[in-house]
Amino acid sequence: MENKSALWRWIKGSRVYKSIFRHGYEDTKKNRILQIRSNVFLHIHPVKIPDHAYRIRFTWCMGGITFFLFLVEVMTGAFLMFYYTPTPEQAYRDMLYLRYDVPFGMILRNMHRWAAHLMIFTIILHMLRVFLTGSYKPPREFNWVIGVTLLVITLLLSFTGYLLPWDQLSYWAITVATNMIGAMPFIGHEGPLSLLDRYHDIRFLILGGSEIGSNALLRFYVMHIIVLPVTGMIFMAVHFWRVRKDGISRPL
Amino acid sequence: MEKDRLRRRTFLKILGLGSFLATVGLSIPITVRFLFPRVLFERPSTFIVGRPDDLNPATTGLRVYEDWKEEYGVWIVREGNRLYAINARCTHLGCTPNYFADEGVFKCPCHGSQFRSNGLNFAGPAPRPLDRLRIYINDDGMITVDRARLYTYKDFDRKGAYLKL
Amino acid sequence: MAYQDHSKKRYTWPDLVVIEFLTAVALTIILLVWALLVNAPLLEVANPGMSENPSKAPWYFVGLQELLVYFDPWIAGVMIPFIIIVSLVMIPYLDNNPRGIGHYTYSQRRFAVTHFIIGFSMWWILIGIGYFLRGPNWQFYWPWESWGAVKGVEEHLWSPPPWAGVTGLIAYLTLGMILPAIIQRGLYRRFGTFRYIIVMSILLMMYLVPIKILLRLLFHIRYILVTRWFNI
Repeated sequence: MENKSALWRWIKGSRVYKSIFRHGYEDTKKNRILQIRSNVFLHIHPVKIPDHAYRIRFTWCMGGITFFLFLVEVMTGAFLMFYYTPTPEQAYRDMLYLRYDVPFGMILRNMHRWAAHLMIFTIILHMLRVFLTGSYKPPREFNWVIGVTLLVITLLLSFTGYLLPWDQLSYWAITVATNMIGAMPFIGHEGPLSLLDRYHDIRFLILGGSEIGSNALLRFYVMHIIVLPVTGMIFMAVHFWRVRKDGISRPL
Repeated sequence: MEKDRLRRRTFLKILGLGSFLATVGLSIPITVRFLFPRVLFERPSTFIVGRPDDLNPATTGLRVYEDWKEEYGVWIVREGNRLYAINARCTHLGCTPNYFADEGVFKCPCHGSQFRSNGLNFAGPAPRPLDRLRIYINDDGMITVDRARLYTYKDFDRKGAYLKL
Repeated sequence: MAYQDHSKKRYTWPDLVVIEFLTAVALTIILLVWALLVNAPLLEVANPGMSENPSKAPWYFVGLQELLVYFDPWIAGVMIPFIIIVSLVMIPYLDNNPRGIGHYTYSQRRFAVTHFIIGFSMWWILIGIGYFLRGPNWQFYWPWESWGAVKGVEEHLWSPPPWAGVTGLIAYLTLGMILPAIIQRGLYRRFGTFRYIIVMSILLMMYLVPIKILLRLLFHIRYILVTRWFNI
C-alpha cells in the first residue's frame, strides 16, 4: 500500500511503534505465524490447526463460549461489587438500589445472572460434545478430569452466587442445601452415626454459625468472589494448556 | 567417613521432609479450627411465651397457636392439658411448613411433607414427626421456650418436652 | 466415515481468531438483549419464618431437588452427586475402547454412548419434571392443571421389611452383574473382570434411580431397604 501518508510512515517507523508491534501486518506466512506467536493472549492457539477443527459442527464452539461467559461473569461481577454489601441488612436493599437507582445497574445484574445460567448450559453441552467425539480418550484422559472439576467449580459458583441477593430464593436454597449437608453421616449433626452437635459439625463450618446469618453470607461472598473464581482460573489454565499441548482430537 | 556422611544426609532428608509435611499437615486442622469462632453473635435461644393463663384454657382438644411462628419459628400447641412447642422446621430439610387450620395439617412447601396438628408426619419424605423444643416455667413464672434444646419424637414424654397446665 | 486428509492444516490467524471474535460479538448481543428483556428474578426479602411455596432451586439443581422426594436428604443431596462426579471422572480410565476418537460415531462405541446418553437424559428429565410439573407443596401438576386445584394426600406408602429389601437389592445387583457378562461375552472380555465390575456397579447404581422412582409411582413403595441409619 503505497498511498500511505508520510505521517503514517513516520509513526510506523518510530521506535515507540516498533517497540509495541514487533512485526508487520501484511498477509504473509511469516506474519500470520508471528501474529500468534508474539502475542501472549493469542499464543493460546497453535499457529496452525487441522481443517476439521474449524467446523462448528465438530466443536459446537462450546468450550470457547463457556470461557467467554466466564469473562463476562468476571466483568459484570466486578461492577456489581461496587454496589454490594454482604450483610443481611444491606444485601437485599442493594438489589433494589441496583434496580431502581443505579443507572444500568439492573442490566448488569441481569447479564450476570443470565450469563451464569447460560454458562452452566454451555458447560454441559461442551461435556456432551467431548464425550460424543471420544475426546477424553488417551492422551486426553486427565483433561476430562480437569473439565469435570471445572463443572463442579462452576456449579459451586452459581450456588454461592444465589445466596447473595438475600431474597427468599437465596435463603431457602441455602437452608435446604446446608441441611442436606448437616444430614451427612459422621460429620453432620443430624446424620446417622454422628457425635457432633450443631455447633461443631460441617454445616457450622460452611455457615459460620448454627443458623443462617451474617457469617454465612460473608462466607458465601468470599467463596463467590475470590476462592472459587481463582481456583477456577487455575484449573482453566491447566485445561487450556493441555488442549494446546495435546491438540484437538481427531480420528486416528 | 563416607558412610557417616550418607547417614547424616539421610537423617537431614528425613528431618527436612518430615518437618515440611508436618507443617503442611498441621495447617489443615488449623484452617478448619479457624473457621469455628469461639463466640457467636446469634440471638438468645430462649423467648418468653407469656403467663400460663394467657393461653386460653377453655379449649378442649387440640389447638395450634401461630403467634410465635413468624418471629421465633415455633408453634405453641395445646393438647388437652399438655402444652408443647413445635419447632417450625420440617424434619426433612428444614423448610418452614405452613399450618392449614381448616384441615389441621402442617404442609411443607419444599418437598411436600405433611404433618398432623400434633406434628405427626403422614405424607411426603419427612422421616419423623416435627421436633419439639424445651418448654418450662422460668423464675418469673412465665412460660419460656428454649430453642437450643430439641426433643425428637422418642423423647416427647420426657420432662421439659411438654408443660402440664 | 469420509475423513479426508487429516494432515491438512490452516493458519489460526486470522481464520480461527475471527470465528472466535464473531462468536463473542454474537454472544454479547444475545446477552445484552436477554438482559434488557428479562429481569433476573428477585423475590421478597429473606424471611426465615415463611418458606416460598413452591420453593424451587435454580434449574440446574432442580434435578437434585426432585430426587429429594425419593431419597434420604444426604443420599440425594450429597451421596448421589458425589457418585455422579466420581463416575464422570473415571470415564476416561474405564473406557478402554480405542475407537471413535475425534468424530461422532455410534456404531464404534455403542455401549459407552448408549449409557451416557441415558444417564444424561435422565438428568434432564428430572430437571424437566421438577421445573415444569411440580406445584405447591411440591405436588405433581400437569401443565394444563391450575396450581389452585387441591391435590389429595399422596397414596399411603409402604416399605418392604428389611429382609425383603436386602434380598431384592442383592438379587438386582447379582443379576445385573452376571447377566450382561453372559449375554454380552465380548463386553466382558473387552473390559476384563476388574474394570467390568466397576463399570457395572456404576451403571447398576444409575439404573437404580429410575427403578426406585417407578417402584414408588407404581407400587407405592417408599423405600426398598430400610435400616436404622439410612434408607434406599
